[in-house]
Amino acid sequence: MSTRKTVEQINEKIKKGEAVVVTAEEISKMAMSMSPSEIVDTVDIVTTATFGPMCSSGAFVNFGHYSPPIRMEEITLNDVPVSGGLAAVDTYIGATSESHFDHQYGGAHVIEDLIAGKDIKIKARAKGTDCYPNKEVETIINKDSVNEFYLYNPRNAYQNYGVAVNTKHKTIYTYMGTLLPNIGNATYSTSGELSPLLNDPSFRTIGIGTRIFLGGTQGYVSWYGTQFNTMKPKNDFGIPTSNAGTIAVIGDAKEMSTEYIKAAYFEKYGVSIFIGIGIPIPILDEDIAKACMIRNEQIETQIIDYSEPDKPSLGVANYEQLRSGSIEINGKKVKTAPMSSLMKARKIAAELKSWIDRGEFYITQPVELFPKESTVKNLKQR
Amino acid sequence: MMKKKYILRFSPEIVKKPLVSDLVRKFDVSVNILNADISSGRAGMLVVELEGTEEALERSVEDLLNDGVKCSPHVKALVFRQEECVACGSCTAVCFSGALQMNPESWELEFDQDSCIVCGLCVEACPLRLFTITREMES
Ligand code: SF4
Ligand code: SF4
Repeated sequence: MSTRKTVEQINEKIKKGEAVVVTAEEISKMAMSMSPSEIVDTVDIVTTATFGPMCSSGAFVNFGHYSPPIRMEEITLNDVPVSGGLAAVDTYIGATSESHFDHQYGGAHVIEDLIAGKDIKIKARAKGTDCYPNKEVETIINKDSVNEFYLYNPRNAYQNYGVAVNTKHKTIYTYMGTLLPNIGNATYSTSGELSPLLNDPSFRTIGIGTRIFLGGTQGYVSWYGTQFNTMKPKNDFGIPTSNAGTIAVIGDAKEMSTEYIKAAYFEKYGVSIFIGIGIPIPILDEDIAKACMIRNEQIETQIIDYSEPDKPSLGVANYEQLRSGSIEINGKKVKTAPMSSLMKARKIAAELKSWIDRGEFYITQPVELFPKESTVKNLKQR
Repeated sequence: MMKKKYILRFSPEIVKKPLVSDLVRKFDVSVNILNADISSGRAGMLVVELEGTEEALERSVEDLLNDGVKCSPHVKALVFRQEECVACGSCTAVCFSGALQMNPESWELEFDQDSCIVCGLCVEACPLRLFTITREMES
């Protein structure tokens, strides 16, 4: 029986500079010649990472009070409408909210510009009350002028995601990119064997309160993500073969970098945002080790027809096939292309590793684990 | 020897003429078809790259003009702000000329301007809008 380790013991090693940290890609290579028990003996932490477009993202901002005071009801930042129903001078910038005048500029760009230290024009209107008499404010803010500015993303880092194709005769434009007619190409997201939630498929170590890399600084898993689904079918390696688990994350955007937070515009779809996330997984026992040893060829995902409203599956592909540049669909060779950046994800996994190596980042035990059973409901007409 | 890209436009009547093989035979230029748009009953368009001596290229163009083909230098070029690229790969989904490819080791984006046929598909496909097509730059 191999040794069981605790988070405290690993943190003790980090303090002494003795913790052995490898990336999830490195451990997948080690898996070819080592057993789970040997991995537990040699490795303390595996760093996982992803850098992809994650629409369900945004940021809270507190602007500070104005004189005379205003209880803001309608607010725009660089003409992008942001939440007005949040006390007097708090707001939530939804990443996908679009400017009134330029549909290619949205909440994501406001967030990126704020992180970059740029000035942002704020316009706010209110009805005026006895204690907040002001009805209109127009001024300039930036990340140094506001009180708090933190990212809060309700649904990030999807555990697996389908491959997108288009079987119709016309090009379609989606958040999975430009899908050419007659299955002219196939696009995929997630960083495969490096992807955070694919390395802890049953959420043994990732839970509420887990400290993570978020946008270039330390952040936290704040909750399970919206549309959290534990009921998706799993393959022989315990991997859900379509989008299943998600996480909600939080972190101080003032400390983030535009290297890891990037606004995006998908043609004829709208604004989205690339988010860089890295999650350390402590190798406490053999089961956790085994899960981290997963390799690209063992990670399968559904091939989804995005041209049909109910998005039927046309088959499965694994990440080794997807990364090879082409897959076979209905007997036809189809070009594949990623939508999330493996290059950036690798950078994040390496950066997180170096933080731990330098004793700047300590791992955490979740305050609470995620629900064991959770399904997703649809909105119904009543 | 030199290489030059041209846009050839022609009326439906010319479509059947052996234009390409004529050039190869008469002037010893090699013709690389980069893009073609020929619909029946309508005018056609070809983007070609001619390779040969300077004189051979000039004579080819004259010959094409005599045949009633409108022949203009292909001066459109793709401009790429590569330093801002995050290597997401979205553009490679639509680039079939081989100009945009992910390096299978580093997973960085590799751009080979010479292979680009300026089809313009990557302009819309890049979520960071890093591509533009210009007419000012000689390709
Ligand atoms: S314009 Fe873009 S998509 Fe078209 S060939 Fe050039 S690089 Fe490829
Ligand atoms: S789509 Fe844009 S950002 Fe993504 S790899 Fe291509 S050029 Fe780079």
